[in-house]
Formats: sequence, structure tokens, C-alpha cells
Amino acid sequence: MKTVRFKYTPAMDQQHIYCRFSTFLLLMLLSLSLLPLSVKGQEDSLYQPSYLKKMSLEELMTIEVTSVSKKPEKLSEVASAIQVITQEDIRRSGATSIPEALRLAPNLQVAQLNSNAWIISARGFNAAFSNKLLVMIDGRTVYSPLFAGVFWDVQNVLLEDVERIEVISGPGGTLWGANAVNGIINIITKNTKDTKGLYASVAAGNFLKDFAALRFGGQIDSTFTYRVYIQQQDFNRTTLYPSGNDNNDAWGYTLGGFRTDWKPTATNSLMVQGNLYDGMQKTIPEKSPMSGQNALARWTHDFSERSSLSLQGYFDRTYRRDVPSTITDQLETYDLDLQHRFALGKHQNIVWGAGYRYMHDKTKNSTLFVGFVPPDRDMNLYSGFIQDEISAFNNHIKFTIGSKIQYYTFSDFSLQPSARLAWTPNIQHTVWAACSRAIRAPSRIDVDYNLPTYEVPPGFPNVNGGPNFVSEKVIAYEIGYRVQPVNNLLLSLAMFYNQYDDLYSVEALPGTLTFEIQNGTEGYSNGIEFYGRYEAFKTWKLRGGYTYFFKELRNKPNRTYDFAALGNDPEHQFLLQSILDLPANFQLDVTARYTSSRPNPYIIDYFTFDARLAYVFKQLEFSIVGQNLWQERHTEIGTTYIPQKFYAKLTCRF
Amino acid sequence: MRHYIKISLLFAGILILSAQTPSTREYQLKAVFILNFTQFVEWPPNSFSSPQAPLVIGVLGKDPFGNYLEEVLSNEKINGHALVAHRYKSMEDIEKDCHVLYINLSESGKNEKIITNLKGVSILTVSDNPDFLKQGGMIRFYTKDNKIQLQINPEAAKSANLTISSKLLRLAEVITPKLKSK
Repeated sequence: MKTVRFKYTPAMDQQHIYCRFSTFLLLMLLSLSLLPLSVKGQEDSLYQPSYLKKMSLEELMTIEVTSVSKKPEKLSEVASAIQVITQEDIRRSGATSIPEALRLAPNLQVAQLNSNAWIISARGFNAAFSNKLLVMIDGRTVYSPLFAGVFWDVQNVLLEDVERIEVISGPGGTLWGANAVNGIINIITKNTKDTKGLYASVAAGNFLKDFAALRFGGQIDSTFTYRVYIQQQDFNRTTLYPSGNDNNDAWGYTLGGFRTDWKPTATNSLMVQGNLYDGMQKTIPEKSPMSGQNALARWTHDFSERSSLSLQGYFDRTYRRDVPSTITDQLETYDLDLQHRFALGKHQNIVWGAGYRYMHDKTKNSTLFVGFVPPDRDMNLYSGFIQDEISAFNNHIKFTIGSKIQYYTFSDFSLQPSARLAWTPNIQHTVWAACSRAIRAPSRIDVDYNLPTYEVPPGFPNVNGGPNFVSEKVIAYEIGYRVQPVNNLLLSLAMFYNQYDDLYSVEALPGTLTFEIQNGTEGYSNGIEFYGRYEAFKTWKLRGGYTYFFKELRNKPNRTYDFAALGNDPEHQFLLQSILDLPANFQLDVTARYTSSRPNPYIIDYFTFDARLAYVFKQLEFSIVGQNLWQERHTEIGTTYIPQKFYAKLTCRF
Repeated sequence: MRHYIKISLLFAGILILSAQTPSTREYQLKAVFILNFTQFVEWPPNSFSSPQAPLVIGVLGKDPFGNYLEEVLSNEKINGHALVAHRYKSMEDIEKDCHVLYINLSESGKNEKIITNLKGVSILTVSDNPDFLKQGGMIRFYTKDNKIQLQINPEAAKSANLTISSKLLRLAEVITPKLKSK
């Protein structure tokens, strides 16, 4: 890969403006700390005794206790850098897809590569094959074992039915599944008892070409609720950077599915869901199709308030034929997971679980130039975990210790232990620290990649997958502080230091032109993640954050790999989302973001913002949304221009 | 490094602010709930030393209400009884003329002891503790979907000669714990 270190672009003239903006945003964040003082009186007026005393008990029971998103309650999350994107945050941002919604988590690095491809990572390593993230949709793991990364274009849900997205940066501790090295994204859709009724929405614009979604939810009886939905979306193409020529990446898909929730008794519940999609990317010379079907069932039984058992199984089939990369991939996954939680005495909670996943992967290479050898693979993943949550000093101190044990086709047994400590001196403050070890198991692209796919005579250059490639490893040290000084403000700060070993490299075997995938890179990263949520008034909410990231990689002795390909990471990142209710049922929402420059290849920093104006009339909502409004077009990770996007949307909810 | 300093300054500012925070919104709501309970519960006449005696709302253990409870109770009267709040550090401090007792003890083990001690005394017991009703408590606050909800054990109230109106019971989840052998 050629490295362009510095390239002049007309946009560079604006660079000094961007720099001023980063300072501006920081000042805004700082000023937030002063706001509570000035508006506190107003906020609390709702809670004047005279006001509340006029209410009936029924009315009192409908008042929300906290206005800012709830603090995490699960112990495993108390001591972690968790940030939550709520349904309202998504709806008011104007996001049209999961990746766009993920921009709302400032602890994620989200870059749009072209119309249908996104590069998303936590704690750096932002690259085309970003691979250190665990992504789950309602408990179904969606990263691909082909490259341990995520095909974001096919991870679609009806955004209206998303309850929240939990984003945890850092290793997932013990509870979460494989690949949770630098972060976890947990997309959780609503229980069907909360989606009764009809939802219909249509939208059209210059980039979102056409969008239509329909969902109906209902109940059979008081214990059984369901919903069915269908959604269709088409997106326009981007233009190439720096030529400005059209890119052949327009695409679209249709998605449909159902979910049922059955709670036959107070202690048993069963959730079943199924989804299928079919899409197409308008590549040249032929179109690239993609499709998938999945079904999941989860049964949960509560023995008592402190003890429960959950059993989950799913099937997932994905198919995609990617014409430009000449590779076709079909993956079938069968997964079974068991989790049991129980109390041991007064101060200990044990959680343990076991899981098995079988993956049948079939690839086809349309040329001999590059591909997977062997084309087909059967992969088995066995995993287990045990964790003990210990509370002491009247629950002011909570200590979690545990380990995951994993066996995978491409790696031996691996232990991934973690220890977490949280100190909660009172309800408003939590100080936490954690130390964990996590691994990124080899994927097919590490082991089976071949260029070309046939044997070459000696003296000809070729690249081979690594027969000896082992898991990439990290030891992560984290500390954090979460505070809710007043009811309408939540702030969270996390700092980390990660030490990496056995990172990916490609190097020539001594004295030959045969390049082999190896573990020749090591290094460290550190950073700060700041996140805040603030309800200034009942009608005005602010949320946002700042992430600082620094990483330094090096070759192991006698290695020569150019590790720049492992991640082209911005140092600074800001986000500020404002959700404002105007009089007369108008809503005005703005989401601004800044990403500093990326070093290698050099990509200029950018600031931009999205805005949404909506009018709500009874069950109807009409909105116009503009995305990336600051300039006509910008680059996020280098190969394309991402344009300004506009669309108008009509939604009704009955 | 500059950013580290700025961020830590920001947090220092917030720490100072938070030091002044009074009771949380949750307990402000709960204080108003407790006021409402007094309208839906009937005490036996002998639990008041005189018709003018105040109705006493006691808070046992750490006080989460702050001044807010007084603010809520001020100028309120129930059947001619003024409402007052008393704070009790420990079980031994509980007065005979207490009518509503909000129990806020971190050790749930102590709850059981308190409730056993209060047997037959006409005190409406209220708590947030998850095991409270099982231990013989009468009303429990819990949070569901970020809203305060109620669980009530009417049997426990009955055995303390308290009558809880059906209006209140209708709004709550009624729980009748299985009788323990002891």
C-alpha cells in the first residue's frame, strides 16, 4: 500500500477553522459544569413540595425518577467504560442506520468508508479490517469469523424498535463472548409489550434514496405479545477522493422479521425472533448481492431475585458475493449459550456460563489471484466463564473477579481473566478500576489467506496465511469515575493503558519472496474517554463526549512490517448532541462532531454537524434532516468523499 | 497532557458542586408518597394519645430525605393530626407514638429484628429493601421503568390493626408472603 503522508487539498484552507472548533467544543464542555448551578432552581421547581403534593398517587407513579439515562445497574458494567445510546438519542439524531447511530457514542471511532462500508472500532485500530470488537444484536454475535470484523451494511434493524445501544469500550470482562478485546456493542431491541400498535414511516432524500418501514405489534393475551416488521432502504453512491469521480457503491436492502415475548408465569419468559434480509450493491461489472436469515430463542427462568438461569440458541446464515474483491462467502452459525446466576451467602453473586458455536464457512474465489485456501472451513468455538461478584462495606465496595476460558479451531485453550473494583461512597459517585487480559483469536483471513491461491515457483512473490499465527493479546488497565452530582447530570470519565502483544504482521520468510502472516508487532495505547449527559430543562437535553487516543506500535526484534495498516487513528474526537423541544410541537436537534487528523496515510481533520427539524401533529411526525452540513463533502478515512445528505421523513405511530 | 489537566479541572468543579446536593429527586417523590399513605391508612384511635396529638413519621437509619420531608409535611393535617417527622438513629430510639416508619438500614438482617419488635404495634412500616415484605414489612418502594411503584403486604398491616384503603391497594402490587414456620 502506498503511503501518502501529506497531500494538499482545498479543504486544508479551513484547517485553522477546525482547530478553533476543537477549542470551542472543549470550552462548551467546560461550561456545562457551571450550568447546573444556574438552572438548578428552575429544574427543581417541578419538584417543589407544593407541586408534587397536588398530584394523585396515580400521577406520582408515572413520574420518572431520573431524567438522565440510568446508571448501569449490572455489576459487570458498574466498573467499565459504558456509554448508552437511547431510543430517543437515535430518533432525534436523524440516524438512518446502525453505524450512523453509533456515531452517537463518543467512545467509538466511526468512519464512513463509502456508501455501504463503515470502519468502526473502540480504543483505536481503526482500519479496513478492524477486528477487536464484539458486536451483538439481541444476544446474537454478528462479527464475521472471516476477518473477525463486522460487515456493517448487513447489520440492520428497525431503528424505531431499538430500546438502547450499550457501548462498552475496553475488554468485556468475563461475561461477554469472544472477540471483546477493545470494546463491545450491544444492540438491544424493545420487548414486544412496548411496541404495540402500528408504526409506518417513509423517507426520501439525496443520499437516502427511499426508505419505507412498517411495523405492527399486538398481543394475543396478557402473557404473549408480538411484532412483525418490514423495512426497505436504498442509498446513493459516493464520489471518489481526490478525483471526484462517481464511486460504484450505491446499494439497498429489504429487511423483515418478527419477535415474540411470552411470559407464561412471573418467573419464566421466552423470547423468539427471526429476521431476514436481501440486499444488493451496484458494483461494476456486476452487482454484489448479500442476504441473510437468522432466528433466535432465549428462555429465562428466575429462581429468586438473586438467582436466574438463561438458555439461548440461535441460527444465523449470511451470504455475500463481493464482486470487487472477487470473494463469495457463505457462513452458517449455530450457537448455544447457558448462563446461571446465583447468590452465595449475603455478599457474593456467582455467574457462570458455557457456550458452544459451530460455524460452517464456504468461500469461493472468482479468480486465482487471491482467496481462501482451503475454500471451506468448519470452526468450533467452546467457551465458558465464571465470575464472582463480592460486595463489602455495606455495598460501598464491589469486587468482581473471574475468567473466561475459550477453545477455538484456530487457537488453543486461552484464559481471559479480569478483576474489577468499584467504590461507591454514595449514590452519586462511583470510582472504579479494572485489569483484564483479552485475546483476539485468529480469523480465516489470518490463517487461510492466499495470494495467489495456487502454488508459485520459487522466486515469485506470494502471500500466505499464517499456519503459526496465534491470538493477538492485550492486557488492559483501566480506571474510571462516574458521577451524578445532580439529578439531571451524569458524567463519566475513563482512562486506559493497553499493552498489546503478538499483533498482526506480514513478513517475508528469510531469503524468499514468500510473505507470511505472523505475530510480529507489539506496542501500547492509552487514552481518555469523557462522556456526559445533561438535561438542562425538561425541553432541552445535551449529551456528548471527548475521546483522546494515543498508540505506539513497534516491530518485534528483527521484524520489518509496516504496522500503519493496523490502524489509522485520530488523536482527538468530540461529540455534542442537542435535543430541543420547541413550542408548538416543533423539535430542533443538532449533533456536531469533530475528528482530528489521521497520521498514516495523512487524512485531514474534519468538523461537521447534523440537524433535524421536526413537527409533531397528533400521531404524525414530519421531519427534515440534514447530515454532514458543515461542508459540501468531506473525507473520513481516505478513499471517498462523504457528501452532505438531506432527507424528509413522514412517520405515524398508532 | 494539556487535556488531562483540563479534564481533571472539570471534574474537580463537579465534585465541589455535588457536595451541596440535597436529597435526590427519587426521595423527594418518596416523601410525597409517604404523605399520601397517611390519607389511605386508618390507625386505631388508641394510637394517638390525644385527638390533637401529631401523626409521627419516623425515619430509621440514614436519612435520605433531608429537609424535604419537613417541607412536604408542613401545614398538612390528617383528621386533625398535624404531621411531624422524627429521626431515629437505631431501633431503640423508636417512640411508641410513631405512626409511619421508613426504614433505611443497609443490613437487611436488622429489618427482621425490627419488625419482630414492632409486632402488634400500629406502625406502618415502609422500606426500599427488596426482602422487606418477606420479612413482614408492609409497604415497599421499587423502581420499574424508572418510575416508583409499590408493593403492599396487607396481611402484615392487618395484624398491626391498620386498615389500608382499597384505593391504595389497587395501585400497588399486593404480596402475601408465605407464612414462615418460625
